[in-house]
Amino acid sequence: MRVPLDKKWSERLVKLPESGMGYQRVDIRFAGNRTARDVMVFNAEEAELPEEFARLPITDVVVRGAKD
Amino acid sequence: MYYLNEAQQRSLLNQPETGMGYQLVELTTFAFRKVVGMAYNAEIVLERDEPEQKAFLRALALGAHLKSYGQEVRDVKLLSLSSSEFRAFLLREPRAAYAAATPGPAKDAPVVATKAGEVFKRFSAYTNDHRIEADGSLKSGTDATTEADARLVRTGKEAVARYALPNPDPAVNVFTIRPVAATAIQYGVVQPAYGQPGGGVEVLFTHATAARSVTGPNKIPPG
Repeated sequence: MRVPLDKKWSERLVKLPESGMGYQRVDIRFAGNRTARDVMVFNAEEAELPEEFARLPITDVVVRGAKD
Repeated sequence: MYYLNEAQQRSLLNQPETGMGYQLVELTTFAFRKVVGMAYNAEIVLERDEPEQKAFLRALALGAHLKSYGQEVRDVKLLSLSSSEFRAFLLREPRAAYAAATPGPAKDAPVVATKAGEVFKRFSAYTNDHRIEADGSLKSGTDATTEADARLVRTGKEAVARYALPNPDPAVNVFTIRPVAATAIQYGVVQPAYGQPGGGVEVLFTHATAARSVTGPNKIPPG
């Protein structure tokens, strides 16, 4: 499901390179030491997350490298 | 490299492709030499082991006018999959040669400089595209395509397919980018991904563009 990201994460992501036109592939870490890997973020503002992660507080967002 | 005239291009366009984006053909030169080669975009024909093959394919993908670089030919004939020439070609041709000659993604390409007057387009599902700064500049690390490639895209859904966008929402907002000359850029071809065919030209602006270099968006139909 599409989940809007807090401004803090959006501001970080727009400073980082895109993975393709209009999107970034990221790993998102959540409270409780859980991680959603290879998540699509569109326009640095909406993450496509599995429902189980949708309401968890985010602790970090990392853009995946070319080799990930 | 051989360049096909308009009638020859029309003839090939009316016949099926051998594979995505190419046809195996037999040419007859004006010296009556028979040549078997690959026709790309029904426009140019490259022989096996053509030394400038990679450069020509990249230039073709970028919409360059190659007519002045190629020899004209007397005749061109599509080879059928069952022809002996086709089987012979497959036996001789190392598959890796064509794979290596096909341009890959922009991020793997060398950084080059834009030329004065070059125009690029960016398709987005979002009107408020966050890669575009308030001063009309583009953030570093932003993807786009060439103006020539963008002309092939008529709807937002076509943009999703051609640029293999993972966001299925139609990319109906088209931004125009006019960077100053010598802006750093990488050119490549979108690889198939996310269930989309790709195949469009992608460019990657490795550095931010100048203020007021981005205008738009113009709207296209969703499709």
